[in-house]
Amino acid sequence: MHLHPILSALLRSKTGAALIVAQVALTLAIVCNALFVIDARLATAARPSGVDDAGVFQLTYYGIGTIPDPAAMMQRDLEVLKAIPGVIAAADVNSFPISRSGWNMGLSADPTRAESVIGAGVYFSGESVVDAFGLRLVEGRDFEPADVRELTARNGNLQADTVILSRHLARQLLPDEATVVGKTIHLGAGADAHPMRVVGVVDTLMSSSGQASPDAHRAFILPVRYFSDRAQYAVRTAPADRARVMAEAEKALTALRKDRVLTNHRSMSEIRETRYRQENAGANMLIAVVVGLLVVTAGGIVGVSSIWVSQRRKQIGVRRALGARRSDILRYFLSENLLITTTGIVLGVGLALGLNQYLVSHVELARLPSGYIVAGVPAMWALGVIAVLGPAWRAAAVPPAVATRTT
Amino acid sequence: MFGHYLALGVRHLRRNPVLTALMVVTLGVGVAASMATLTVLRAMSGDPIPHKSDRLFAPRVDIRPDDASDPDPEPPLQLAYRDAVALHGARRGVRQTVLYGVAPAIDPGRPDLPPFFSNGIAVHADFFAMFDVPFVKGGAWSADDDTRGGRVVVVRQSLATRLFGSAEPIGQSVKLRDRDYVVTGVVADAWDPLPRFYRQIGGQGAFTGMEDVYVPFATAIAAELDQNGSTSCYNSGDNDVPGFEGLKQSQCVWLQLWVELASAGDAAAYRDFLAGYMAEQRKLGRFPRGDNYRLHDVMGWLDANQVVAEDSRLQTYVAFGFLLVCLVNTIGLMLAKFTARRGEIGVRRALGARRLAVFQQHLIEAGVIGLVGGAVGLVLTLGFLWLIGRQSTQLAVLARMDWVMFAATFALAIVASLLAGLLPTWRAMQVQPALQLKSQ
Repeated sequence: MHLHPILSALLRSKTGAALIVAQVALTLAIVCNALFVIDARLATAARPSGVDDAGVFQLTYYGIGTIPDPAAMMQRDLEVLKAIPGVIAAADVNSFPISRSGWNMGLSADPTRAESVIGAGVYFSGESVVDAFGLRLVEGRDFEPADVRELTARNGNLQADTVILSRHLARQLLPDEATVVGKTIHLGAGADAHPMRVVGVVDTLMSSSGQASPDAHRAFILPVRYFSDRAQYAVRTAPADRARVMAEAEKALTALRKDRVLTNHRSMSEIRETRYRQENAGANMLIAVVVGLLVVTAGGIVGVSSIWVSQRRKQIGVRRALGARRSDILRYFLSENLLITTTGIVLGVGLALGLNQYLVSHVELARLPSGYIVAGVPAMWALGVIAVLGPAWRAAAVPPAVATRTT
Repeated sequence: MFGHYLALGVRHLRRNPVLTALMVVTLGVGVAASMATLTVLRAMSGDPIPHKSDRLFAPRVDIRPDDASDPDPEPPLQLAYRDAVALHGARRGVRQTVLYGVAPAIDPGRPDLPPFFSNGIAVHADFFAMFDVPFVKGGAWSADDDTRGGRVVVVRQSLATRLFGSAEPIGQSVKLRDRDYVVTGVVADAWDPLPRFYRQIGGQGAFTGMEDVYVPFATAIAAELDQNGSTSCYNSGDNDVPGFEGLKQSQCVWLQLWVELASAGDAAAYRDFLAGYMAEQRKLGRFPRGDNYRLHDVMGWLDANQVVAEDSRLQTYVAFGFLLVCLVNTIGLMLAKFTARRGEIGVRRALGARRLAVFQQHLIEAGVIGLVGGAVGLVLTLGFLWLIGRQSTQLAVLARMDWVMFAATFALAIVASLLAGLLPTWRAMQVQPALQLKSQ
């Protein structure tokens, strides 16, 4: 196949070729960057929080005024919850992972070095958070009743002598230790730092803030039963039982007392859905644009190629009459298209990198990994070939007799 | 001639129906994607109080200890109790208010209306005048209530209706948690600034959920109404005193201060005052990180709170990139359409039409395509906004079209199609009459 006739024909219809080149280049540039963002958002939304998403739910009541007997209230609530058939575990908890509302505290391995403090999400309960959230304990043990400290909202500081860490936090606090169980870390730093013994490590546990950065995996659990005007529980069931247990639990606890109001009653799947709504919405929007781009660009190629085919009917007929086979005509249009898309792709790669550079400096996007471009290039070639097949097929179908007709 | 060309343009729409439909749809989709994302971005980044946003200031001071645990150069967004009260008490502005979120339970004491939690803020009386809060009845409480901690409350119209029905709300009493408060004013439901710039915002709270109760700051503190919002603590050592009193004495930040200055130019003097306050406090061993303070006007405050999601900005860029591709596509389609008409143009030119006339005619035709594309784009924009709004309640608030965006959609479509029409029109104008007539 000689490129010369294709090139000289192209130079006669520069505008159409330039338009396709521009579309291919822009599309490649935008699609590469958009796919990169889509992947990042979906990866964030797919991160496990450590909690059994399908089995856990939240139930929260707030006292209308001051609750006079918070300890008795909690004891009774837990008894009632645990008696509901289908409940695997129930615990009073201060907050839920990725719920966007909770507590953060600083931990340090060396309290004399203030700069070693690492902020992390904290969970506390008088029961087993590991059981109630369905966490996986990978090292050490869960808390025992002797570990549990009691605290009311109006006296004393949140402190305990034992702690369970998320694996991520354990590695960051004590990077050089083979095992962290039995080691001592501190709540805070300085003179007031409170020492705690690590008794266990859970595989994954996210903080309540659940931010997009890996820091969301910094979390720890304290054995503290905390009495306040709020009664908040995490309940775990088999996934199939959850809807029923949720309804029964709400009914049972609401019937217990009149001096409080139900403020939150949602499953962990809902918490998760709410947390990652923005990521999912963003990804969906970009997916729609990517699809739109591909369709429009393919449409553009079909359009311009069709015009060329109809403009060159006479020439095609002449070629056919001079002995060119259908496959030669088909090959001509495919090669022409490949030549144009390749030019577009070359420009597009540069444009993709340029666009990424712009986004890096303007919207805090990370640098585009080369894999997206490596995957994008053959995809654009394929798009071009598929788009031109129809018009090229029609060109190949032009009968040699056309050569004999005028106009 | 304009009218004639316009009529021609409209008639020509039907000439190549497939080509026309493709152009109109391509243009419409591109315009709609851009306008939908732009609408959300604009709602996010709008100036909520344009006539005085440069005179309302929120100060921030760096209370953090001098260690490397938090390397962020930006001071915390909120203030500790002692700083908020001291800076407010200095009364350096024309008006000033401290504020923090509260969520006291409201017990209407009616069998048909069980107790519920309200969304409220504790503020000083100046708040209402500073932020142009419109009242439907009554007004703010008195300055005396501010100092004395009077048991008074301002409620939102919808809450007043819920509690009192059609009865006169002023002078009624509302039970917040365990105490009764007297209603002094009712805020119009129409007050719905976007974003909720006066609160410490970011994330969920920036666009949804208006307060239904406003309590005097001193009253809320005396009643120990817990803060509904985020609290950050920096010194672990100073919370020996437990409970609410401990929070007041601590180095924890949980309050905001807003100051209204007579003019934007007074900001420099206020900055000096802040520096002076910090220098004075440093003698007591506070503010070890030096003169690290900020004084934001409303737009600066929104910026510091990162109200505009980076993703929304990114989506808008991508959508406009898409529009660009749609434009290139439209150029190709229009070129095809005008090229098919070369013979006709040749005849017109041969009959004495000047190039300018040909240019005008075709550009107007491009404009007509833009107009139709704009109509399609508008419908699609509304559709896209509906889809965006379904993703979350926050986006539902933002994804609303107003008249400005309505007009902008048409303007964008027409400008886009005129731009796309330039090259094809130029080519049409170049048609050599002799050449065309010869080949016929």
